[in-house]
Amino acid sequence: MRWTPFVAIPAAFVIVIPAKATVYLTTEQAQRAVFPGASFTGVPGRSGVWRVSTGGYFIIDRVVGKHEYITYAVGISSNGTVKQIEILQYNESFGSEVREASWRAQFVGKSAGSALQLNGDIKNISGATLSSKHITDGVRRVLAMYETSLKGVQ
Amino acid sequence: MKRARPLLGTFVEIAAEGLPDPALDRAINAAFDAVECVRRLMSFHDPHSDLSRLNRLAAIEPVEVHPWTARVIARALALHHATGGLFDCVVGAELMHWGLLPDHGFASVQPGRSTAVQFMAKNRIAFRTPVALDLGGIAKGFAVDRAIAVLRRQGVRGAVVNAGGDLRVFGPEATPVHIRDPLNPAVVWTAGFLNNGAIATSSAAETIKIVRGTKVSALVCAETRAPLTDCNSYSVVAATCALADGLTKVLAQIKRTDVPCFKRFGATGIITIPVGTSPLAA
Repeated sequence: MRWTPFVAIPAAFVIVIPAKATVYLTTEQAQRAVFPGASFTGVPGRSGVWRVSTGGYFIIDRVVGKHEYITYAVGISSNGTVKQIEILQYNESFGSEVREASWRAQFVGKSAGSALQLNGDIKNISGATLSSKHITDGVRRVLAMYETSLKGVQ
Repeated sequence: MKRARPLLGTFVEIAAEGLPDPALDRAINAAFDAVECVRRLMSFHDPHSDLSRLNRLAAIEPVEVHPWTARVIARALALHHATGGLFDCVVGAELMHWGLLPDHGFASVQPGRSTAVQFMAKNRIAFRTPVALDLGGIAKGFAVDRAIAVLRRQGVRGAVVNAGGDLRVFGPEATPVHIRDPLNPAVVWTAGFLNNGAIATSSAAETIKIVRGTKVSALVCAETRAPLTDCNSYSVVAATCALADGLTKVLAQIKRTDVPCFKRFGATGIITIPVGTSPLAA
């Protein structure tokens, strides 16, 4: 292991991220990742729902959290259980106050070489654990939809 | 290639490179499977996990567990010893009492210490008293380590596994690592560059809530058994993510980066004070 600390004074290298989008998979890539080798037929009248040639369904849904909205895919096996969940896109957005100079001002002047940046491509962030509970709630909703209107329909 | 799945109650992101796409796909899938396996074995929330079986039965009779579960518990006990008791996984009773962990109908859970947990054989564990073990302080880091081990075995050139903020990097290049402000999620700062190592961060801020008029959190002071409720975040850089994860709980109690045992472990502690608050508030 090698660790090279960047600076002794954290506030000198504060970066504000007003919005950050990470795209992991396109719809087609997610379909291949969840049901390899299968083909997909859109279900008429339902956007984001596909019937899978090998049985089951592929469904794209979106959940909205306090600071984020997440597009994800659920693969449902022919027996109605969740086969796999993949995140397609993760967007973080911190609202208008972050764009206001007055809000950002609180981070400026913390030290001499204060280098406040606004940056959209920050990777490898360590920090308090982000909850994925709203995905769990979303999947529950998707399964309820499957039970009431997809299951058994040919 | 970069993928993410909701696992371990958070988002697990795996980035890997240096193999043809189909091989990378397989390697990343296998790494996610390892993380899911750790969840299945060590989740407190899942009543069928190894951990829940231990908490239900180990005070009555020795319980046989998966080698990975045994490995994590052995490390937790060793860390308990090496940190003079500051790292303690026997906090289930407190967290259940505060409504932060579910009760799966355990007979009579009592508070206790890691010393209540004993190995009867390699993968057989018994509790001296009916305590509740919670591996939340170390299992996520262990899952990240397993995912990295799988990716290495599959021959990737470089990889990053980030389980909601506990991350490990592998490969020839040093990677910049950022730490998020515990109270301002839009704000991060560049902490340093990491090469073949791990960083984990814990903060009471994410779990603080008021229960029966008292402020509680998922971080417990080993000595007083009171919840830690300051809003700083505590990061540790170490060779493995399980070690980094475990040592964040020690740093959160000592609140000083010159912890003697860190040197022995080759670990570095970093305390992030939320911007706009006084260091004295800690």
